[in-house]
Amino acid sequence: MNQKSLILKNVSKTFRISDKKVDTLKGRLFNLFSNENFKEFKAVDNINLEITKGENFGIIGRNGSGKSTLVKLMSGAFVPDEGGQIIKNGTSMLLNLGVGMSHELTARENVYVSGSALGLKIKEIDNIFNEIIAFAELEEFVDSKIKYFSSGMIQRLSFAIAINAGADIMFLDEVFAVGDAKFKKKAIEVMEKSWIDGRTIIMVSHSLSNIEQYCKRAIYLKKGKIAFLGDAKEAIKLYKEDNKS
Amino acid sequence: MALSTSKFYTSWFKENNRVERIWMMAKIEFKLRYYGNKLGLMWALIKPISQIAMYYVVFQILMSQRVENYVIYLFVGLLLWQFFTETTSGMVKILKTKKYLYEYTNMHKLEIYISSLISSVIGLGFNLLIFLAGALLSGIWPTYHYVYLIFILINLFILSFGVSLILSNLYLLFKDILQIWGIIVGFGFFLSPILYRGDLFSKKLPALDYLNPIAGIINNARNILMFGQNPNWELLAFDIVYALIILLIGLLILKKVSPRASELL
Repeated sequence: MNQKSLILKNVSKTFRISDKKVDTLKGRLFNLFSNENFKEFKAVDNINLEITKGENFGIIGRNGSGKSTLVKLMSGAFVPDEGGQIIKNGTSMLLNLGVGMSHELTARENVYVSGSALGLKIKEIDNIFNEIIAFAELEEFVDSKIKYFSSGMIQRLSFAIAINAGADIMFLDEVFAVGDAKFKKKAIEVMEKSWIDGRTIIMVSHSLSNIEQYCKRAIYLKKGKIAFLGDAKEAIKLYKEDNKS
Repeated sequence: MALSTSKFYTSWFKENNRVERIWMMAKIEFKLRYYGNKLGLMWALIKPISQIAMYYVVFQILMSQRVENYVIYLFVGLLLWQFFTETTSGMVKILKTKKYLYEYTNMHKLEIYISSLISSVIGLGFNLLIFLAGALLSGIWPTYHYVYLIFILINLFILSFGVSLILSNLYLLFKDILQIWGIIVGFGFFLSPILYRGDLFSKKLPALDYLNPIAGIINNARNILMFGQNPNWELLAFDIVYALIILLIGLLILKKVSPRASELL
């Protein structure tokens, strides 16, 4: 039962920020002899962390503390600096506002593509297709391109796919910021159910009450470093105290 | 090496929905490309046909180049050339446009490339059918040499795939690569035996038959499709090795650059 879903060893991420961003060949040629001014910025600094299968884990911190970068590192969208290691067991899906979908495709096509990317066979998607659409409350818009959708609709759809398609690890980056109260309630109900299914959930949120309610453990990030790792309530208390001063 | 290849195979086929996913994405992309507008698949034909008409007037009538069956001759050249340029140019930004596929799930980037290539191949298939009809109308009957076309096409696919890999990964580093590639393609069009007689081309610029990987492909395709001849096997072998080297370079660049794709874009 103590199987690890995610292990981070010495994970750091440094971004190089240049005054003038040179990303064309022409620009490179013209700037060949002028030395570029790089500022190095460590968004995430030496994180060691283990997340157990089925755990709900919260990430809190102020804006710019490296929360989203950490989530992107965990999900594999970013590569850690040399020396860092991320071990991930199982499929994962990163959810934030309206992502993981192509705006050129219809809701139906997006369900199939995302579902398949999460490891489902087309036949399996056929079986749960109606369920996904019903959950997202998009029955009337199945064959419309999602570029015509509102951000809330897109988010509902991606949430519905992720829940029904069942990625082993789900990264939720401020997913509760959009979606009306009714959908929020439904999403939380499903999340509660999916804990039992042994899925691992990593939640980033400014809403401390969400973290407090659903996460046993949390990490409090301060300028990319771990300020606190452990009991979620403790982390939130520390975070609140820091914000007072 | 053997170990790593076998590992590659299991990691690719163990996950057994990968093949159906690639096929599904190819179909969706094909549909997007050709059915997004009212004329649909016709667009795939209008371009080569209008170009054929234009070049026919200029080269055959005005400049009296006197190539037999010039329309069909042009058709072969344009078909293959356009497949190459449209596939490669279309894939330059693929890591950007298809970001949603690899960033939020665990999809392998090669899948995205393969499905895009397949959808281009489906388009080429339709064009080849039209070509066959045109050839028959012009009195050119298929010969057993047509079987060899498969080698030419595979050669073309490997080449287009390799170039696309290189370009799309360079795009992550140099955002102006699409413009640069446009210029290269512009030169390439006139440095390939598309408009003029292949034999004159080979006589005047023999080095280009080998330097330009498309030249051999077009000349050989004409040997097979129009003249009922065997392909120039030596040239074909050379071009296949050429394409494989480009593919290898492409795969190496993909491995080196693409993991950082989402932070570079």
